[in-house]
Amino acid sequence: MAERQTKIDVKKLFKESPKTPVKLDVTDLNNFVYDMSRCIKCKGCTWVDHIYMPGAQFRTKCPTATRYLFDSYGANGKMRIGLALAEGKLQWTDKLLEIVYADPLCGACDVGCKRNLDLEIGLTLEALRVKAVQDGVGPLPAHKKIAQNIEKDHNCFGAPHNNRTAWLAEGKINPAKKADLLYFVGCSASYVNPEIAQATARILKAAGTDFMLMPDEWCCGNIVFSVGMIDEARALAQRNIEEVKKTGAKTVLMSCAEGYRMWKVDYPKLLNCSTDDLGFKVVHLVEHVDSLIKQGALKPTKPMDMRVAYHDSCSLSRLSEPWVPWEGERGWMGMVEPRLTRRRGTNGVYFQPRDILNAIPGLELVEMPRTRENAFCCGAGRGTKEAFPELALWSAHQRLEEVKHVGAEALVSACPWCKNNFAQAVKEDGNSIEVFDISEVILASIDR
Amino acid sequence: MGVKEKLIEFVGAENFSDAPQLLGEYSQDFSLSLPGLPNYVVKPKDAQEVHEIITFANENKIPVVPTSSKVHFYGATIPRQGGIALDLSSMNKILAIDEDNRSVRIEAGVTWEQLTRELKKKGFRMIMPLLPPAERSVVTDYLEREVPTNTVYDYGEPLQAMEVVWPTGEIFRMGSASVDGFPDSISKGANPSGPGLDFYRFFQGAQGTMGVVTWAHLKIESIPKMDKVFFAPVDDLGYAIEFLYRILPRRIGQECLLLNDVDLAAIIAEDWPADFERLQAALPPWTLIVVISGLLRRPEEKIAYEENFLKQVLKNEFPALHLAESLPGFPGLHKKLLPMLRNPWPADVPYWKNRYTGACQSLFFITRPVLAPQFISMVEEMAPLYGYPVSDIGIYFQPIEHNRACHLEFHFFYDPANDADKERIRAMYYDIARALLTEGALFTRPYGDLAPLVFEKAAGYAMTLKRVKKVFDPNNIMHPGTLCF
Amino acid sequence: MSISKESYRVLESIVGAEYISDDPVVCEGYRSGPGGYESGLGYERVMTVVPGCVIMPKTTEEVQRIVRVCCRYEIPYVPYSTGFYGPRSHPHVEGALLVDLKRMDEIEIDEKHWFAVVGPGAIYSPLQEECMKRGGYVVIGGGGAQASVIANFLGDGWSPLSHRIGLPHRRILGTELVLPDGELVKMGSLAQQDDPFWGESPGPDLRGLLRGYTGVRGCLGIVTKMAVKILPFQPERLVPTGISPNTSLALPEKRVKWINFVVPNKEAQVRAMFEIGKAEIAGAVTKVPLFWRAIAKAECKEEFWELWGKESAETVNKFFIVRVLLIGFTSEEHMEYDERVLMDIMKEVGGEARPTRPSDESWIKNADSAGMWVMCGSYVSVDYVIETLSQATQHGELYADLKWKYTPPLMPDYGDPGWFQSFELGHQGYSEFLVYWDQDQNTDGVDLFYVDTAKMNIKNRTYTSLLGPHQPLYLTGPKYGPNYHLWLLRVKDEFDPQWMCHPPVPLAHDVFVERAKWMKPIKDWEVPKDLPK
Repeated sequence: MAERQTKIDVKKLFKESPKTPVKLDVTDLNNFVYDMSRCIKCKGCTWVDHIYMPGAQFRTKCPTATRYLFDSYGANGKMRIGLALAEGKLQWTDKLLEIVYADPLCGACDVGCKRNLDLEIGLTLEALRVKAVQDGVGPLPAHKKIAQNIEKDHNCFGAPHNNRTAWLAEGKINPAKKADLLYFVGCSASYVNPEIAQATARILKAAGTDFMLMPDEWCCGNIVFSVGMIDEARALAQRNIEEVKKTGAKTVLMSCAEGYRMWKVDYPKLLNCSTDDLGFKVVHLVEHVDSLIKQGALKPTKPMDMRVAYHDSCSLSRLSEPWVPWEGERGWMGMVEPRLTRRRGTNGVYFQPRDILNAIPGLELVEMPRTRENAFCCGAGRGTKEAFPELALWSAHQRLEEVKHVGAEALVSACPWCKNNFAQAVKEDGNSIEVFDISEVILASIDR
Repeated sequence: MGVKEKLIEFVGAENFSDAPQLLGEYSQDFSLSLPGLPNYVVKPKDAQEVHEIITFANENKIPVVPTSSKVHFYGATIPRQGGIALDLSSMNKILAIDEDNRSVRIEAGVTWEQLTRELKKKGFRMIMPLLPPAERSVVTDYLEREVPTNTVYDYGEPLQAMEVVWPTGEIFRMGSASVDGFPDSISKGANPSGPGLDFYRFFQGAQGTMGVVTWAHLKIESIPKMDKVFFAPVDDLGYAIEFLYRILPRRIGQECLLLNDVDLAAIIAEDWPADFERLQAALPPWTLIVVISGLLRRPEEKIAYEENFLKQVLKNEFPALHLAESLPGFPGLHKKLLPMLRNPWPADVPYWKNRYTGACQSLFFITRPVLAPQFISMVEEMAPLYGYPVSDIGIYFQPIEHNRACHLEFHFFYDPANDADKERIRAMYYDIARALLTEGALFTRPYGDLAPLVFEKAAGYAMTLKRVKKVFDPNNIMHPGTLCF
Repeated sequence: MSISKESYRVLESIVGAEYISDDPVVCEGYRSGPGGYESGLGYERVMTVVPGCVIMPKTTEEVQRIVRVCCRYEIPYVPYSTGFYGPRSHPHVEGALLVDLKRMDEIEIDEKHWFAVVGPGAIYSPLQEECMKRGGYVVIGGGGAQASVIANFLGDGWSPLSHRIGLPHRRILGTELVLPDGELVKMGSLAQQDDPFWGESPGPDLRGLLRGYTGVRGCLGIVTKMAVKILPFQPERLVPTGISPNTSLALPEKRVKWINFVVPNKEAQVRAMFEIGKAEIAGAVTKVPLFWRAIAKAECKEEFWELWGKESAETVNKFFIVRVLLIGFTSEEHMEYDERVLMDIMKEVGGEARPTRPSDESWIKNADSAGMWVMCGSYVSVDYVIETLSQATQHGELYADLKWKYTPPLMPDYGDPGWFQSFELGHQGYSEFLVYWDQDQNTDGVDLFYVDTAKMNIKNRTYTSLLGPHQPLYLTGPKYGPNYHLWLLRVKDEFDPQWMCHPPVPLAHDVFVERAKWMKPIKDWEVPKDLPK
């Protein structure tokens, strides 16, 4: 029994308590045993933040939990499953692999949990995939195919590497030989969505920000990283960063949210450095354009008479806060030292795209019920579309219901993965919603 | 030892009777229920005696019919299979008034008159149903879910913790009175719920079939410092009900009710029958009564903002409703009516329902307020088929809790000395009840003849009720033949 | 341990293959702990197991059929809405079927008559949003907006908003209950018709079977539908603002307002609450423990401890806050009136208003209970009691006193006596005592403390909510009623003769005490020889 203390010395209690070393390092699931064992099953990982809860419709923000329904598919279930795995109480099975991988890693659970608690849900989910690969059971065949494509052709699709810059000629675009700004196009825009690459390029030119490309652009490695192939991802990260440094670029700009997150957050994570230490800034097109509009360097003057909804691509929004490596110790009452400022999704790129859209004359921006950090993922990213096409399309359909709910004519996002998945869902649904990338909308609104 | 001797041993000879005349008094009441004699009447003085009587009765499978009031309207205490009439009216102590926590602990025999008088001395009141007879048991009226005239409190029912005697004889305390040694405890009896299960719920609406309540805690309220009584003459009942849908959720008012001309006349008439006839002719078809009150602090200001709100709503949304402090043609009605609404009906005056023709059969149920007019139409269509004039039907509409529901009550007056009249009323009452039940009227208090009708409709519920009853009253001694038991 | 293949096939035919699983990984996802409410403790470790199978029905009929199959094939089953309540909502025996009710999540509102019909899978925040769109509100239980409405109504169901209406069972209307043997009983107006608008049934009220204060934890059947009262609110919108983690509702200042008052001492706190109740004003009145303020301010656990470390027994004993929520139900003038009366009362007790944010972070739509786990990682409300304000204000002190004996492993909080508040306009009072610990430490003391509080309540003659399945039934039973446990068990035996519905509840805590060696020192009461092992 304690004496009836009138004062406690927290520092002393912490100092004298047994400590466990802890690192925000996804290559070792044991770093997250504390987090997995403290999940309280409040399902803040599944529900829209209750303050923003829209009502009887659109209650959840986790595509996987909403689609598959069993608790086991939501983060709360995965924490329990992950803990059993870490403790050697569960063996890998097809079901376990499915539960680990049927998940776009959209960050909704991580941010939802961190509204109230200090648990690293997102990193735990990443670590589970790394463990699957380490244990020789993961990733899934569809992911392995992508890894092979990247290995061979430096792009996810297995398309000829030579064709990567075909969009330039098609769009009659000439990048600068050298510039402070390097546009990292990404596999999607290069091969599947040249309209995004071309629009981005034209916007940059119109704003007087010339850009260069990487001499030899390879895949950013988003999918291989996301499915747990750490070594392959790290190799890509090192190579890509080196190549950028060689160009002397001060800023690397993306028009793809997935690539943005990969470069800004996961490259530093892989290399155990911070975003600030990369040696260059990483920005998304919308950050750049927003800044230009506010400076007056870019003027959206052409009216667009359209009612649009904006979809917060996960990797641009709640997943996009900069990375700072951390390691330390955990002791008394689970406190950690040194002080850790957790990434809670607060400072994602939420306002810039909205400010851009609101600056376009005639364009009416309406918010969907699930917005910003509560956005319902399109379901396509980080290897999900390839391995779980049904889940991805289903998620897109869910999101489209919101678009219809607010009576929007068009859906705008800032990622080709979102765009393509939504477009496919629209086609399947047979409705008339138009799906745009924000680069297309910006381009249409500016004088060139 | 025989039953009589045993009972005398428990309560003393002076509290026992098997005299035919006295037994007769327990065999019928103001209702149309068929009479039923008990074999014995006992008047215990405390829970211990109740425990002894019931334990004995249970062992010997003798029916027990608890009764606490001196006046009864529903036939709920008429023995159907003989047995012991357990008269709790001597257990009439007000055990405690807790002014801080605003509650009162009273024995089952405490009457409205007694309680109102004692509470008034301390500035408190009991929320009441409409004009409860002075000599009715307060506890019984709340157990039987009499609907209060006050609609403003979210928490509705005033019942808190209780002491009971189970049909197998055990004395048991429910809710927060269940602590060992209550009331000598930190727990003060404010919570009716638990322990284990909400046993208190089994006693509500039970008509004595689940055991005997010996005392109960009830919430009491402060007497308002100021009141204003508003009246509105109403032709279009639906319009008035829409008005109630609008104002009652805004937590306006204290007492709020609607009475038709017959009922209001019966209540306020003084000089019979002239007064009644005059009133019946002169009163509007309906009168809406809304009392707004200033409470303990800044009472004028509370009245002011409620009045302002009412004025706005009336002006902007209900221009055809003329709510005023007087009813046109009836000056001073507010002075007369408010004390009536806040006090029981005096014991030395024939009960208002009985003043017209000597007796009255009440038919009441719960429904959505918006449905009241159609139920009224049904009744008004059917009554003449039995020779009962529409102009003689008393109707009372009581909104419940923000007007989320209402209690709708019909009064059919008859001459109790006229057997043909009684038969006619009984038949009409039954047929109308059955028709209303079919159309969705919700009978939550099925007295007498209504019980089989209602439980036929609620057969699934009745089945489960019987299983619960079996647990607590395995020998079915508590008021057998009542409800579905 | 799974269920038999035969029974699995039968169950699968009821719901379809997509909605049933006995895969061990899926079942592991339903494990109770080790984190969560009342988790990381002996009860959870000793008494809970993962289910043998999980099933997700959609309709009452499916639930009935499932229950009947369970009775036929002797499969213990456990109703489960969100699982948030911790180990007591999870299977306690091997080979159990967990009936996950999340698909039964309908919310329908009858705006004119102020009620909502919900399924067991519906949680509070969507219901609250739908209510507020229509000028109404519900009392979101302290467990949080993520709690299932039905489960919370059955087992808890109150918050500071209970200043106007405390006990949730007063708010239960028409209800469907599938009894442990699969029979369906419809209560309230549903007993006689399809309209669930009213809660009373003819004759005795079987809503008494649904709960007994803090409920029977799912051992007396499965509620598949419930109509609940909505309370009239005010018409202005409460606007969600902020970005996670700092989201809150911006209050329409002329109709809804929190005011924090600092008062000189506890007597003033209590008197203020009594007076506010008597004056019949306000929408919520509560005190809060000092460390909740630290939780609200802290951005992380470490910052909480930094803030808390600055406090002391002295500051705790000098911290007297009364938080009042004013609601202009009738009009803006109503709120102004309430505020004037409130200021009169505060002047009398020596209270001073402090600047208060015009927002609600917690009680109206959120109930930030998840924050309770920030400090130490584990938490339970060791009691949450509705009684009188008189009891409430003394009750916490008893806990605070007892708690020293068990600190550590309980979190050091300088003897803070928990929180209390006014309920039902002062006719009742509420007290809650919360404890926190780190489950990585030896938590035997927490298990012992928990049962020791039952003894403390018995000795001090206080009413406690933790009766029934929450504490050893044979300890509390003889002392409340007396012998309420016998009645509870008889009802259980009548409706669940096979004890298939969530065995061995309501005797689970008794079984725990028998099984857990470290509980031996505290066990000084009799139990029957046939207590389940």
